[in-house]
Amino acid sequence: MARTLVQKILARAAGRAHVDEGEIIWAAPDLVTVPEVSFPAYVKRLRDIGITRFAHPERLVVVIDHEVPVHSQAGAERNRLTRRLAVDTGIGHFFDGEGITHPLVVERGLVAPGQFVVGADTHTPGIGGTGALAMPFGMEVTMPMARGDIWLRVPETIRVHVSGRLRPGVAARDIVLATMRLVDDEMAAYRVIEYVGEGIAPLSIPERMTIAGLSIDTGAEAGIVPADAAAAAALQALGVAHAQPLAGDADARVAVELHVDASRLEPQVSIPPSPTHVRSAAELHDVRIQHAYIGSCASGTLAELQAAARLLAGRRVHGDVQLLVIPATRRIHEAALADGTLATLMAAGAQISPSTCGPCFGGLAQLDAGEVRISTSTRNDPGRMGHREAQIYLASALTVAASALTGRITDARTLLEAGA
Amino acid sequence: MSEASLVLEGRCWKLGDDVSSDALISARHVFEYDPRLLRRHLLAEERPAFAAEAQPGDVLVAGRRFAHGSQHSHPFLALKEMGVGLVARTLARPPFRLAVYMGVPLLEIGEAAWKALHDGDRLRTDFRRGLIENLSTGTQHEAAPLPAFLLDIVAAGGGLPYLGRTAAAHG
Repeated sequence: MARTLVQKILARAAGRAHVDEGEIIWAAPDLVTVPEVSFPAYVKRLRDIGITRFAHPERLVVVIDHEVPVHSQAGAERNRLTRRLAVDTGIGHFFDGEGITHPLVVERGLVAPGQFVVGADTHTPGIGGTGALAMPFGMEVTMPMARGDIWLRVPETIRVHVSGRLRPGVAARDIVLATMRLVDDEMAAYRVIEYVGEGIAPLSIPERMTIAGLSIDTGAEAGIVPADAAAAAALQALGVAHAQPLAGDADARVAVELHVDASRLEPQVSIPPSPTHVRSAAELHDVRIQHAYIGSCASGTLAELQAAARLLAGRRVHGDVQLLVIPATRRIHEAALADGTLATLMAAGAQISPSTCGPCFGGLAQLDAGEVRISTSTRNDPGRMGHREAQIYLASALTVAASALTGRITDARTLLEAGA
Repeated sequence: MSEASLVLEGRCWKLGDDVSSDALISARHVFEYDPRLLRRHLLAEERPAFAAEAQPGDVLVAGRRFAHGSQHSHPFLALKEMGVGLVARTLARPPFRLAVYMGVPLLEIGEAAWKALHDGDRLRTDFRRGLIENLSTGTQHEAAPLPAFLLDIVAAGGGLPYLGRTAAAHG
């Protein structure tokens, strides 16, 4: 019987030969990720009901990533408690200021195609760029922490066929933003969005992670990019011993098929108040900005930093604009130091901070009323980055860098054509 | 926790469509987990009277896509603490699950029922039977109740008490 990739992954996680779409199953994740925002609170709640041991502590990943470096007394107490609990509970993996959870677990070789990963954080599906099925469950991750498994309804699949190749100035984010124009919340409900085709094949794992992670904001369960030979090889290079290509059966039924031609895409921007409100960058040229941010689990990758640096090399950001750059992990930070990327960005006027989720949820670099930021982060709800009357636009690092140069939302191709 | 928690009587607090998770409780409160503090933040910017005046037995009646966006437990921890139930036109999967796991009684209703419930109406809502009586206008509205498995979790006070009970039974 033909099966989707999601069915294959969940059948294995449920210890079954086959699972049907729509069926409620208990599935055991291979990895459970919890940031420090949540970990001590979850442990306390479990202890309050008498659960003091985790079913599979070796599968648990705890990451200090939301407040780095710590900048509050409450944060200092939370981190100290997190460090102690990480030891006391015998969890498998603890990372302290090493980067943002989703890129970090992939970079450290903890995720293989076909695995089932659950996380407390909303953007856990970024991990789906490896060909794993990665879903967010908020506080419900206390269930797999305690029992080793979680109940879920087997989702259907929306398959996005991406043809053509991205042109200069257009980035992986523009593929997922174009997809958001085609998917509404009713189409996305209880479904996973799978990306296939010649437009996906040349993309790196980090680029695929951008697409998978932002797919959650359509209202879908997750995004996923089936692992091809290139993905398996890239993951093996990261130390994943058993990384093999894995895809759904070609004749498996999918709920919806969509088509995006990457070669025809323009740079796209999510406008307030939702990531799914998408316009072309060129349409927004009248929008003035005071802040630009390149970073986050979705976009703080070495390739995004390098793309921004190529555009900014030899130029200065606009005098009205604060440009903040945060590499997603410490290793990305080190690589961008070593290859001169950060020097180029700083020469252009950027501030650089250590790896953290901070600005994405208003924990760092807050905005005042009336201020406007263009950002590579994940969400732009009112109040997300400080004041409710600040405005947040979301785009690729290239679009953010181009906008930082001009002080207005800018299609990077206008600057590339000018001879970058 | 008794079955009584699945029948609520109190005021209707009506909201429109597209009230996001961040609009319910701003993401900057993501580090806070004490429900006694979180209840003060719930709808603090959109509907300040709610946190101050809502009583146990009241019901939040929301429109489409309630609590979309961030997958934060916080709004549901606050609702549970307040003893307020949730009736919505539609919820996406993440807030639906979080409501159940936090032990917030929940009904999804049709368009006609949604239109017949007004802010300030007095409602008697039976979450097990899927019945809403509008005591102010004398109308009754039916909705599909949660599946029995999920009602058991809500009746236990949420997923954690339910887990604790399961663990005790197995231990």
